[in-house]
Amino acid sequence: MLKVENINVYYGQIHTLRDISLEVKKGEVVALIGANGAGKTTTLRTISGLLRSKTGSITLMDENISHTDAHKLVSKGLAHVPEGRHVFLQMTVQENLEMGAYTVPSNVKAGIEDVFERFPRLKHRKNQIAGTLSGGEQQMLAMGRALMSKPKILMLDEPSMGLSPILVQQIFDIIKELNESGTTILLVEQNAEMALQIAHRAYVLESGHIKLSGTGQELANSDEIRKAYLGG
Amino acid sequence: MTFISNLISGISLGSVYAIIALGYTMVYGIAKMLNFAHGDVIMVGAYVAFCSMAYLNLPPIVAIVIAMIACTLLGIIIEGLAYRPLRKASSLAVLITAIGVSYFLQNAALLIWGSTPKTFSSVVGFDSISLLDGKLIITAESIVTVIACIIIMIGLTLFTKKTRIGKGMRAVSEDKDAAELMGINVNVTISITFAIGSALAAIAGVLLCSAYPILIPTTGSMPGIKAFTAAVFGGIGSIPGAMLGGILLGIIEIFSKSYISTELSDAIVFAVLILVLLIKPTGLLGKKITEKV
Repeated sequence: MLKVENINVYYGQIHTLRDISLEVKKGEVVALIGANGAGKTTTLRTISGLLRSKTGSITLMDENISHTDAHKLVSKGLAHVPEGRHVFLQMTVQENLEMGAYTVPSNVKAGIEDVFERFPRLKHRKNQIAGTLSGGEQQMLAMGRALMSKPKILMLDEPSMGLSPILVQQIFDIIKELNESGTTILLVEQNAEMALQIAHRAYVLESGHIKLSGTGQELANSDEIRKAYLGG
Repeated sequence: MTFISNLISGISLGSVYAIIALGYTMVYGIAKMLNFAHGDVIMVGAYVAFCSMAYLNLPPIVAIVIAMIACTLLGIIIEGLAYRPLRKASSLAVLITAIGVSYFLQNAALLIWGSTPKTFSSVVGFDSISLLDGKLIITAESIVTVIACIIIMIGLTLFTKKTRIGKGMRAVSEDKDAAELMGINVNVTISITFAIGSALAAIAGVLLCSAYPILIPTTGSMPGIKAFTAAVFGGIGSIPGAMLGGILLGIIEIFSKSYISTELSDAIVFAVLILVLLIKPTGLLGKKITEKV
């Protein structure tokens, strides 16, 4: 479904991503784990067109999207929930969701009902300004907003960031549910333990290149990973 | 009676400032830049309307529409040629470019229309209203200006609150990357904003010159600066703020002219701005974004 081949990304002179290749197959949950600054967010931003790779190619459902503008990718079935949620803080919950369906205005009504069913807490806050929501609610809103475009593949950047353990569990349950209902998922996480539990496959990123890859199970049992990312 | 008639002139002048300030505030809200050439777009609008009426003998309403179309195109061209290449540049570079565009427009106007003042004939076709045995005269221009201002205000508010494109504009003004990820074409949205702001500038130019009929290439610059002040005064980025700021500024200016001193009126206007910013740095209706993490 999504194939990234040998991309190299630079921030000015700094070579941030080195020959990254990864693949996400239809129906999979693929996790991208690694320390701060390893290049996880940069990888997602490059896939979604906010950054450009100098070399290499990105293919979404057999179409080369390496040079496609970010705003055109939404209607091709790619949705990206950015790190730090980036909900529209001054708009209401309802308006945020409407923005999610910007490319498919016909889906506004049905989409919002769907999101409210999945995230009942948002329903109660429908007319509230997003800036007044709690961190967990904002994360739910960001995910709900991304679902409004009916994506085939959903990229989530650090959905657990800054959330309490109970909320993290809730968010991961929702990710699992989404996957079971047919959404392919590319998940970036620092919480490697949680990510590896739900991932079919995972890649470990270190200083801008892929160090290891394997099934979630394999990586969770690997000594190297346990030492570096799972606390021993 | 002088008080009421001053108040009416103040509201009327303030309405013109408000319409111009809307252009500043919308562009600032979306592109986070101060478009100092905005005042000169007003002047171009007034010249285009003048030529349509004086040389082509077109009726005023047609002249206004032509001026709006011309300014809309001008706004889109300015944004595309001068500002878009600088989207990722420092705000100082953009500011200097805007000042450059402003001088370019003034000098282009000088080249095309010359330095001799043109006498603009009012686009308003009915007479002043005389009340209380002629003690209180309300000019037709004042009435039209205030009504135009109210219609524009309501229209813009509905547009940004209710329409898909309007909401998209608000999304872009808050967070460009997130808007892009929603599938909103940020560049097109910025162009639309310039188009709307410039069309409003054309209306402001025509109304301004209908009330103060001397048209020269620098006609737009002082009202431009004052409207910018009004936008900051009301809280830059806020549409109701631009409206409130514009009208208050107009009233303050006319009152200082008639009760204190004509020469000092501009100084008083700016002194009030400084005071407001000292007490409330975000302007009257500007809001601080509260963010929960």
